[in-house]
Amino acid sequence: MVRLEYMLHVVTVAAVLTTSTLDAVAEDIAISVFAGGSGPDDHFRVDAITIAADFLTREAAILGEELNIALDLKTTSSWDDFKQAVILSAESGEAPNIVITGHEDIANWAQSGLIVPVEDYVDLDAWPISDIYENLIDIASYGGVVYGLPQDAEARPFFFWRDHMTAIGYSDREIDALPVEIEAGEYTLSNVLEDARKMQDAGVVEAGYGFYPRVSNGPDYWQFYQSFGGLMADPNSGKLLLDRAAMSGFYQFFADAVAAGVTRKNHIGTPWDQWYSEVASGKAGMWHGGTWHYARYTAKEGLADFFGNIQFTLIPGGGERGRANTLTHPLVYLLTKQEDERAMEIAAQLIEIASEPRINVLHAVKSAHLGIAKSEATIPLYANNRWAREATDRLLAHATAMPNNSNFGTYWDVMWKGLESVWTGQKSVEQAIADVEAELSSVLGDAIIIR
Amino acid sequence: MSSSRTLGLLLLMPALILVVLFFLVPVILTGVFSFTNMSTSTGITGGAYQVTPNSLQRLSDDYGLSSVAETLGQSRYVVDEQSLARLQQGEADEDVIAELRKDHLGQTFETRRAAERMIKELRHRPSSTRAIKAISGMMSRSIAHVRFDTKQALAAGLSEAGIELTPEETTAVAQATYTGWVWTMANFRRLFSSPDTQRVLINTAIYVSITLVLFNTTFAMVLAIATFYMPEAPAGIFRSIWLLPRISPPVIYVLMWKWLAWDTGFLSLFLENFGVPSRNWMLESTLNAWVFVILINGFVGASMGMIIFSSAIKAIPKQLFYASEVDGASRWQQIRHVILPQLRWPILFITSYQTLSLMTSFDLILLSTDGGPGATTEVWALATYHTALSNYAGNFQYGLGAAMALILVVMGVFLSLIYLRFFNYSTLVSKPLIEH
Repeated sequence: MVRLEYMLHVVTVAAVLTTSTLDAVAEDIAISVFAGGSGPDDHFRVDAITIAADFLTREAAILGEELNIALDLKTTSSWDDFKQAVILSAESGEAPNIVITGHEDIANWAQSGLIVPVEDYVDLDAWPISDIYENLIDIASYGGVVYGLPQDAEARPFFFWRDHMTAIGYSDREIDALPVEIEAGEYTLSNVLEDARKMQDAGVVEAGYGFYPRVSNGPDYWQFYQSFGGLMADPNSGKLLLDRAAMSGFYQFFADAVAAGVTRKNHIGTPWDQWYSEVASGKAGMWHGGTWHYARYTAKEGLADFFGNIQFTLIPGGGERGRANTLTHPLVYLLTKQEDERAMEIAAQLIEIASEPRINVLHAVKSAHLGIAKSEATIPLYANNRWAREATDRLLAHATAMPNNSNFGTYWDVMWKGLESVWTGQKSVEQAIADVEAELSSVLGDAIIIR
Repeated sequence: MSSSRTLGLLLLMPALILVVLFFLVPVILTGVFSFTNMSTSTGITGGAYQVTPNSLQRLSDDYGLSSVAETLGQSRYVVDEQSLARLQQGEADEDVIAELRKDHLGQTFETRRAAERMIKELRHRPSSTRAIKAISGMMSRSIAHVRFDTKQALAAGLSEAGIELTPEETTAVAQATYTGWVWTMANFRRLFSSPDTQRVLINTAIYVSITLVLFNTTFAMVLAIATFYMPEAPAGIFRSIWLLPRISPPVIYVLMWKWLAWDTGFLSLFLENFGVPSRNWMLESTLNAWVFVILINGFVGASMGMIIFSSAIKAIPKQLFYASEVDGASRWQQIRHVILPQLRWPILFITSYQTLSLMTSFDLILLSTDGGPGATTEVWALATYHTALSNYAGNFQYGLGAAMALILVVMGVFLSLIYLRFFNYSTLVSKPLIEH
């Protein structure tokens, strides 16, 4: 009902706008923008809005309108702080107009009414949105409705330190062939453990540094579940899916890595700064991360020759049903529900303009993310960037994404607690899987398929 | 008498109001929240009625209404007299309405996108995206993703979209599409059945008991007694130094510990001189993490006990010390037979206060280990915080977090009662015999 009344109002306003003479009346609009998980290289996530505001103001001027957009831009590198700030401010009616967050928030925030569908405000058929990859638009949708505009794309590769591979007997040609071998399932997670052990035995890396995974919870760990054939959601019903065998394989892999001494038992919780400096300086043999790590390694960590030192591939498969894979975790521009309809409309136009290829390429190249639109590949800044090109070629076609499902957060928590308990030796794999299954079926009931 | 009582009450009123607002109300709200499934996705202040993929799933699974779910999930955009009347009512461009009636009456589109494509091909195409959206919105005959504030609005929306349901089906749809929170005991069931509950409780017991016994009471007492027997000036300096952890901002205080413990920190650099490889001492092992968690909290906690015990010792009549010295008592005998018996009341206070304080404090652990490595130093209060205010997929579990907080309140009250009994509280507060 609210929606109908709003529509009536909008039609009236639109009719008045199109028929009346366009008197230049100054319009002041304040738009606040907040981006989570954004480090120093990611400033174009919000700076793109500044560029867009400049465009929009000029466009308005051509139509005889004086539009003054006052922007309040904020970023934080933390996800926890960001989500707390957004959620709690929204609960008190003070949400930022535009939030830049992971797509997995869409389901919950749409259900709570915190965000509104972007498709209510922008023309999906018009450029630049028509140029955005369809699969990214799907990732930004919930129940067939487009709630957000993709802000970036990425993939999460597996990394090898070339010299350490050479030290355990790999020739340069064999190292170069790793991406193909991994994709074909010839080099698997068991090989990872073997080679990690060899590196430690050869003394090229210290104990616990053979395989040096991500130090905190994150989407990355779902990749190892997928490596053993697991699916996060059932493609037919859209329900969440716990594949016991795949989850066991995934937990067992980390339990084996700890038992073999190639990963430290207390690895989770290692400070990020320490981890980045170690992997970028060859202290670890094999690890995994994201495409944006390229920016961090080569800039802040001072790794001059990335390609000469590091090989990157898909996450290797494991077990019989295994498959090599990677995960893309696009950030999205979302519009929050506001009292002021006009502010929401302006915010929508801003994110639409910010999604233009030329503007998005600035972020993609600066932060080593992947582009969101087809034509970005033809923009020289992007096309001439070796990392963007190779990472797109090698990884993006194999990338899956987490489901937009409001129960996924619960599933994720339980999966992570189970992994932690196995990793730190508090539970056996069997015990952890039994507990995960018990907890999921008691909390989610029919909303999750367990098989 | 009665006027002074009223005055007293009046004077107390601001404090009473503050106590009610900031102490009582939060506890009551925690109690209320704990019996709900409240989360970010349900919102705090109440929900709406919205057809989402989840609600459709519920409609099929829980109510066996899969055909209704299928209908509700479909989107349909229709050019009919009803839509045109709405457009008229909304004062849309007459030419657009006329053209729609002439060329498109009776057409149905499955998606909004398709409907808008048609609108954009009109000869009298509206000049803004906003106007196109408004027209396609008027053509909608679906309720998927529309938010209805009330049940009545939902029912009206259903009938407007031409979806005819029996009263039972309408009720089921209302229940399944409700996005807000509902009353439930599920939080407590989950806590009592989860294997993590036991682990976190054991962590909490370890943390509270060791910090309390080693630092907050024993070490505080050692400091108080040591400074009591020192000359006044150095004692003051010594006490001030031990106050530093308490008066430093927690973030800076913990950062200093991290500088000490990091692999590039002071400890590693110093020990490298003796051939010990550098490492992250704080997170090296579970034992290391516990040692640091207890030291970090203990150093802060000890200062509180030190102040209370010091002042209590100073309040002991000097004659008792003179008399004991005349009797030839050693320092140890003085402590054992003069000081400690006089400190029963402050010891009770510090023990119970610090137990409650430790049970509910998690800030220093959050800043130092964040419960790691691998949740091995996750205590109840921190787990509560993580549940209620942290979730990777943006769905904070307020209800479950409140249930955990409520359990903490119950444990606190229970322990306080035990302490009161153990220290024989009634004797402590009874009137001195000499004044009878």
